[in-house]
Amino acid sequence: MPKTETRLSHFEIVIALSIAVVSITTAVVAGRASAVGSAAGDAARRGLIDTIRQQAAMSEDWRLVYQEAAFAQEHAAAQAALEVMAASDDPSEQAQADEVAQNLLPSLAQLSPFVTEPRYRRDDGSLDLELRFQDLEAETPNLAALSPEGSFREADRRLSEQRWLTLGSVLLVISLFWVTLAEIARGRARVGAFAIGSIVYALSLASLVAVELIYTLTPLGGVE
Amino acid sequence: MTAATNAHDRSRNVIVVLAVLATALTTIVAGLQTDASIRANQANRDSQLHAIRLMGTLQRTGLSSAYELAGLARITSDQIEALALELAGLRLQEQGNDAGAARAMLRAQAAQARARAQQDASILYQDPRYGPATPDGAPDLETYIADLTSQTEILLQEQNTAADDFQRWNRKADAYVGVLTLFATALFLLGLAQALVSRLRLFFAFAGTFAAGAAVLWAALILILPGTG
Repeated sequence: MPKTETRLSHFEIVIALSIAVVSITTAVVAGRASAVGSAAGDAARRGLIDTIRQQAAMSEDWRLVYQEAAFAQEHAAAQAALEVMAASDDPSEQAQADEVAQNLLPSLAQLSPFVTEPRYRRDDGSLDLELRFQDLEAETPNLAALSPEGSFREADRRLSEQRWLTLGSVLLVISLFWVTLAEIARGRARVGAFAIGSIVYALSLASLVAVELIYTLTPLGGVE
Repeated sequence: MTAATNAHDRSRNVIVVLAVLATALTTIVAGLQTDASIRANQANRDSQLHAIRLMGTLQRTGLSSAYELAGLARITSDQIEALALELAGLRLQEQGNDAGAARAMLRAQAAQARARAQQDASILYQDPRYGPATPDGAPDLETYIADLTSQTEILLQEQNTAADDFQRWNRKADAYVGVLTLFATALFLLGLAQALVSRLRLFFAFAGTFAAGAAVLWAALILILPGTG
């Protein structure tokens, strides 16, 4: 009889230790899930900031493109009028044309690459605004290198990991439920409850290790 | 005495089981709340992202339309000026003022040349979708404006959808917090029941179980019904 009591008390100690271990594991996983969620928030915030910076740069580039296009339009108009006046027989009109050709046109041309660089003109004579915009974007490599999409992918990946960790913590609490049940049960019921709790704990631990490995070591972590 | 003690232990064990079960359910609901919060955060982020892109697109379409419409105004002005100078030239010719007529005609040609040159730099004349049907016709401004606003409308639609998603998931996440509060109340009542005896224990055990049951029902409704909150 004393032998049985000693065996039972040992089992109770094991159960109590198990409850402590499962509780600590749950707390660690909850902390990890929180940290991962925080990292996801940081990545999303970084992505939004990068998007704003990119959009601001793009807006400024488009503003410049349209400003240069307006100068090119003005230049084209002045040149067309000049050609008509230069072809006239009236000396005063020719003198005006000469003045415009010598002073106004070069000044306008300097303001717009659409005038000075033929590659910004299409075959039909229209302005290639897209090409000019692309060139302006390429002139600011640090802004072009910003990758908001990459940050958003990272955020999604972290959120996905957080979701799996939360699922793991739910399994851990279910394990805790059974182990606690073993604490108050007697006889076979106690052994059964403890066995179920241990199996669920082992499964949840294995799933959590798998989640960590998948999200840390492989690019598969992005797949939900 | 032994029978009473056994009954006391049994009821205490039942309450412990209920409390632990309520704890497990609380954790499951906490998991659902986390999931709803994650979805709400993602939708919120998408909504902000679409708003930023919408802002950029609006700015670009503003620049584009300002450029095109200003160009169209200048082209129209030059065309009208050319027409007016041609009419003036004809009138001067009728009056016998040949030099004045020639000067007016020259200026009319210059204005016409200006108008034609500016047309090359305008999408309203170069793009077949908007270009005038006849050489003297006007560009199709309605189609141009419609195309310009269609991009922003698509982005606005996406932004609205993301904002609606955020509202929906945020309401769910908030509602789960309410469920968690109910579970906390249930756990408090079950904890009290453990410490009490006889009828009071029974009362608090029933109250705790009722609160936990209501929380489960509420959580199920939030989970099943779309837009519940």
